[in-house]
Formats: sequence, structure tokens, C-alpha cells
Amino acid sequence: MTISTLFQGRKFQGQFLLSLMMTWGLFSCDDNNSDMLDPGFDRGALLESVANQLIIPNFESLQASVDDLAQAADAFVQTTNEGNLIVLRSAWSQAVRDHQHCSAFGFGPANLLLGPYAEVLAVFPVNEQKVEQNVLNPNFDLPNSFDRDIRGFYAVEYLIYGKEISSAELIAGFDQNRKDYLMLIVGELKSTFDNIVKEWDTSYLQEFINSDGTSAGSSISLYYNSFVKDYENLKNFKVELPAGLTAGQTGPDGTLVEAFYSGISSDLIVEHFENSKNIWLGLSRSGQDIIGFEEYLESVVGGTELIANTRDALDQIDMAMANIPQGRLSDYVGSDQVKTLRDQLQANTANFKSSISSLLGISITFNSGDGD
Amino acid sequence: MEQPVSIAPLITFRIAFGLLMLFSTLRYIWLGWVDTQLVEPILHFSYYGFDWVQPLSRVGMYAIFIIMALACLAIVLGWYYRLSATLFFLCFTYVELIDITYYLNHYYFVSIVAFLLIWVPANRDFSLDIIRRPQLRQKMVSRWCIDIFKLQIAIVYCYAGLAKINYDWLFRALPLSIWLPAKTSVPVIGFIFQYKITAYIFSWMGMLFDTLIIAGLLNKKTRLLAYFGVVVFHTLTGILFQIGIFPLVMIFVVTLFFSTALHERFLDQLARFLKSSPTQQNIQSNSPVRSANRLLYPFLILFLVFQLVFPWRYLAYPENLFWTEEGYRFSWRVMLMEKAGTATFYVKSGKDGQEGSVINHQFLNAHQEKQMAMQPDLILQFAHYLKNHFAEKGMKDPRVRAEVWVTLNGRPAQLLIDPTIDLTKKNDTWVHKDWILPFKEDTLR
Repeated sequence: MTISTLFQGRKFQGQFLLSLMMTWGLFSCDDNNSDMLDPGFDRGALLESVANQLIIPNFESLQASVDDLAQAADAFVQTTNEGNLIVLRSAWSQAVRDHQHCSAFGFGPANLLLGPYAEVLAVFPVNEQKVEQNVLNPNFDLPNSFDRDIRGFYAVEYLIYGKEISSAELIAGFDQNRKDYLMLIVGELKSTFDNIVKEWDTSYLQEFINSDGTSAGSSISLYYNSFVKDYENLKNFKVELPAGLTAGQTGPDGTLVEAFYSGISSDLIVEHFENSKNIWLGLSRSGQDIIGFEEYLESVVGGTELIANTRDALDQIDMAMANIPQGRLSDYVGSDQVKTLRDQLQANTANFKSSISSLLGISITFNSGDGD
Repeated sequence: MEQPVSIAPLITFRIAFGLLMLFSTLRYIWLGWVDTQLVEPILHFSYYGFDWVQPLSRVGMYAIFIIMALACLAIVLGWYYRLSATLFFLCFTYVELIDITYYLNHYYFVSIVAFLLIWVPANRDFSLDIIRRPQLRQKMVSRWCIDIFKLQIAIVYCYAGLAKINYDWLFRALPLSIWLPAKTSVPVIGFIFQYKITAYIFSWMGMLFDTLIIAGLLNKKTRLLAYFGVVVFHTLTGILFQIGIFPLVMIFVVTLFFSTALHERFLDQLARFLKSSPTQQNIQSNSPVRSANRLLYPFLILFLVFQLVFPWRYLAYPENLFWTEEGYRFSWRVMLMEKAGTATFYVKSGKDGQEGSVINHQFLNAHQEKQMAMQPDLILQFAHYLKNHFAEKGMKDPRVRAEVWVTLNGRPAQLLIDPTIDLTKKNDTWVHKDWILPFKEDTLR
């Protein structure tokens, strides 16, 4: 009664506008304003480019170095001597460097039963006590164990570097139980990466390229969300936590660094950040130009400003990394340089975390309820 | 208001709403949201004044959902209708109130409709209740019983339309300029979203649609066209955005505006389809329209005044509404802005303690973190949670501050709140939060 009388005078107007809306809606592409008709960004091309030139080659390198690691472990187990230990350690070191260039791609085939592979096979600190228990347990069943801190790259590291012992002592103590455990966890690494590469090569590549939407579960959403999570892991677990800068900590703790036993933590942080930059800038590991988020952002509202801000922030991080003292990170975790690195990584977090997804309209989660 | 009108539209409305809610309840269970949204989170964000609403155990939550589904079914069948409607309203609203990060205007709308359904005799025809007690049957109801829903729907659309009349929406086509290019992979029509002009057309269309659709529906001559518009509009938004079943809800509830004759014809056909329907059997029993309770009018007026006035409360706050979100909710502001933030919390013990940052996802799921990181009241809630958490862990005098970078409609991220302020010393009130930093508007090229 009230409303209808209120609007009665406007009925022709309403009718006209309604029909206008509909015709507009159906034929909007016929308009001729050239600026308005700037074709947008090709997400499919980005996906194809990163899959073929970044993700797959990086996993292939990792697969190859893990294969070398498995062979070196086999040789060391056959002939346990200083020479084979050096080869084994160097193979491990290469594999774990290659891992830094893959940890951001923990989706699809790299999302294992227990989660993204880096959160299963590259967990630190290692639970030394549990590893020692498992070594002594002839019935230990790795495939059915849910423990993450007793397997993978850093459990291998613990076995082949040992804690505060010389290589002679390590070799002397490397009994059959340790050999069996080493072969067990190296075997798991090998079969995992063999499988990841195989899946990418056979079916997943096409699936990844074809799913070119932006909703939760689309390839760009998986790729972006893994990238952000991986960047946050770098900041939170490789820098902040050892530095004692996480809430509730009372001081730095050198034993919390990645690769504590070998002492190559700083190198790994640099490699890790290298991969984050490659994803952002659109570079393959060897430096070839591919399509990155930066190019994607060039095509959207507010993108230019975000690109400028992010570039500045990345430069600051590079500088902070260059200032980290040489040697074992665990000896310097309380230093100002490490704190500065944390602060610079932190300063860039918002750029990666909320700004990119907001500008590109990428879904953060499946669980976003029913929208707005 | 008491003028008798046919009960048919109310009956269709009851059946359609019941079916949709049944579907929605089952869908929620099926998608695993009972676990991921209600049971698993370590903490929940409360509505102001409702922090006493807490989730039950896993079994308890599933029981609530099963009761809700059964209540929906009973609403559809008109079986112990008033009890079912009350149960549904209580269960639904309870679940809604558990965690504000899942706030949706549509949930609020469902709560309101469910509440109103309790007070109308939507079971007086075509129901199991009239098989049980044939004397309850009536062909007519007081006019307000139907108009109250129409008014509510009108408020939703009109307010949603008015909210779209702002500079970003109309003249920068924001946030649609951000959202639409992300949708180029939608089948068939996807290609149109790569063009900037599409976002402008959609923005204006959306605004005009929301503000004018009710007029179109009320007028007999434009009704069919308007309804076609409703279907197209909601189908489009349904395809484009993750908004679940709500396009469907609107497409169905709007049928309330159809003529009585149409509803009667629909019910007749439904009756014939169901064969032995009570409609045929009891055609003569026709209890008169009951006269209204004395409290009814004051109640209805109060309800409407609240609905009309509450959305305007934002005018009482200084600063930009989209930025502060003070008075943003419960105002039919739907899909209105693209906002996202990164919030880093720092905790220290006392004034001179060592400061450490918080890893949010150790406490929050991705959705909660996303919502919290751009809304000042939720940031405050999380800060207070952290204070209690670290105090329980033995930290003396925990102080919490937060560095929150927020991007709004594509602008470069700015600090949302004063990063130096100890949030544990602040409390949420109706008063403006003076620790929210001013919004720098002109940072968009």
C-alpha cells in the first residue's frame, strides 16, 4: 500500500531502466571505447609459464639431487668411510638447496597425505630423542608414522653430521641400525620426489593450466596461497623463531635454525628468498624471464603502486641478508643484523599477503563461507 | 493492516523458505563447515554483547544442525508449525552468533524472516497441522502478515541500493573493476569481464537494480520484467561470487510479490500433484481471520522503525565508514568493497619486556585471520585473547600492539590503527575508536 503508491509515478522510469539494464548486460561487449576495452591479463599464460619454466624444472632438479643423495647414502652404507661421508654430505647439501626452490610449490602432487611436502619432509628442529629411539627400534614403521620431526631432509642431516662430534667419531658410531634408518628416510625422500615429478609430467600439468579461475582451489589460488605461506614460513620459522622474536620467547635459540647440524642455514635462507623473488618477479631459477605476479599486477587497479612498494621492500631484504655475518647462523641468531632481516621480511609481508590477493581478486580460502 | 487477503502467498513463502533452509542446512553439514567453522577453531570472535554465546561440543553442534534440518522440514510440511519456526529461528541465530567472522547480511536476513515467521499463521492451509486440527484452516489472513515480509525485502534491496551510491562504486567502478577481471574464466560470458567498461556497466546496473526493483515488482505491468531482472541479477552474482545459496533464496522469496491468483494456482497444482491433499477435503471449514493482539501494532512499528533507522547509525561516527566499519554491519551493505589486511600482533611483558610477534595461524583459521585483519573491533578482540593467552602461560602484564596494513578498493595499504597503542587497555564500545588512524583517500591514481 504505502510503497506501491510511493513508486507508482515512477513506473515508466522503472520499466525503462530495467530494460536498459538487461540490454546493457547482454551486449556490453559491443561498446567501442578503446581504453575501456583494454584486454585483461591472461592467467592461463602465467600458469603455463610458471609450471613449465619454474615449478617443473625446480622439482626435476630436486629429484635429481635427491637421487644423488640416495646413491651417496647407499655408497656410504656399503663403505662407511670419510671419503663417502664427504660425498654424502655434499649431495645432501645440494638437495636441501634445491628444496628451497620447491618449498613454495607444496600443492597438487606435492601436497602429501600429511600436508605440503615441506611441512612433512623438511621439518626442523629434528626431534633427536625420537630419532634415536626409532634407530634402535627394529619394528619402526615409517610409512605409518605421523611424526614429521623424525624424517626427511633434516633427520638425514642429523644422522650424517651428528651433533658436536667429529666425522671420525660419526663414522665409528655409524652402526647397522643407523644405516638402516638412513636408508629408510632417504628412500622416502626419493620415492616422494620421483612421484611428484611423475605426476606433474603426466596428468597434473594439464589440470594446473586448465584451472584458470581465481576461486578457492583454482590453480592461481593454490599457487598464490602456497607462495605466501612459504614466505611466511621463511620469516616465522627460519628467522624469527631462532632469533627469539616470537611472542612468548625469552631469548634467541640457535638450535631452532634450519640446518643446525651442517651450519648452512644462512645460505638456505638466501636461496629460499631467491625463489620467493623469482615467483614475484617472474624469473626461472636460471634467470630467464617468465610471467610473475608483478606482470599480473601491472594490469590491475592499484597494481603500479604495489609493484613500486614491493620492489623497495625486496631491496631492503636483500641488503639485510647481505649483512648477516658469515658462518653458522646459530651463533648469530641474537644479532641486530638478524633482527633487521626479520623486520624487513615483516615489512614486506602485507605486500605479499593481503595486497596481492586483494588487487587480483584471488580467493584465500575454501572456507570463505558464503561471501559477503 | 487487518484487511483480509488470501493466505496463498504466505503458504508458498513458507514452503519455499523451508525448503531452501533445509537445503542450506544440509549443505552446511555436507561441506564440513560444522567442523571447520564451528568446532575446530581455537577461538571465536563474538558479536558485541554476545560473548556468552559459545559453541557446543562437536556432538552438540551436529545435534543443533539436525534439529535445524528437522525444523525446516516441519516448516515445509506445516507440522507443529509455530514450534518448528521457533526452533529454527533459535538454532539458526545461535549458530550465526557463535562467530562474527562468518557474518553475512544474508544470514541476518534469514534470522529476521525466521523470527517473523513465528508470528504469522503460515500453517493455516496446506499443512499437516490442519490435518491434525481441521478447524485451524483459514483461506484469508490479515494483510500485515504478508506485507511485513514484503517490507523487509524492500528494505534489503533499497538499502543495498542506497549503499552503492558512493564515489568508488559509481565513478571508479570499484570494487567491481577488481573483482570482474578475475572472473574471465567463467564459461560463455567470461570474456566480457576483461573489459573495463563491463565493471562500470555492472556497477550502475547493480545500483539501479537494487534501488528500483521493488517498484518494478509492485507494479503489475512491470512485474514480470522485474522478476526476470531478479532472476538474471541473482544468477549472475551467483555465478560470479562465492555467495552460496543466497541468490536462490532471493529468487524465491521475491515471488511473494506475485499476485494472489498466481500463488493460488500454484498451490492448486501442487495439491493435484500431491493427490490426496487437505485442500480438497476441507474446503468448507474456514475459520475467520483472528483479530490482532493488542501488542501487535506496537511490536510491528518498533520492528520497522528499528529496521529503518539502525542502518543509518554510521552517520553518528566520524571518519570513513568503509575504513572504520563503525556501523557497517546489519545495514544491507552487500559486496560493497574490496578490503584486505595483514595484521601482525606484538606481545611483550610489561613496559620493558622483550617484544615478540604472534603467528596468527597458530590461533586462527585462514578465514578468521582474513576477516580479523581488516576490522578494528575484531583486532581488539584478538588482542584481548592474546593477552589472556599469554597471561595464562605465565607472562606478567602482557601488552599487545598491532601493526595492521589494510588495502581498500585497490589503494596502497595504509596503517589501520595506531601501531603503538596497547590494545589491552582499550575496550570495545559504541563510541568511536579514536585509535583508528584516519583514512588517506586520494592514494588511488
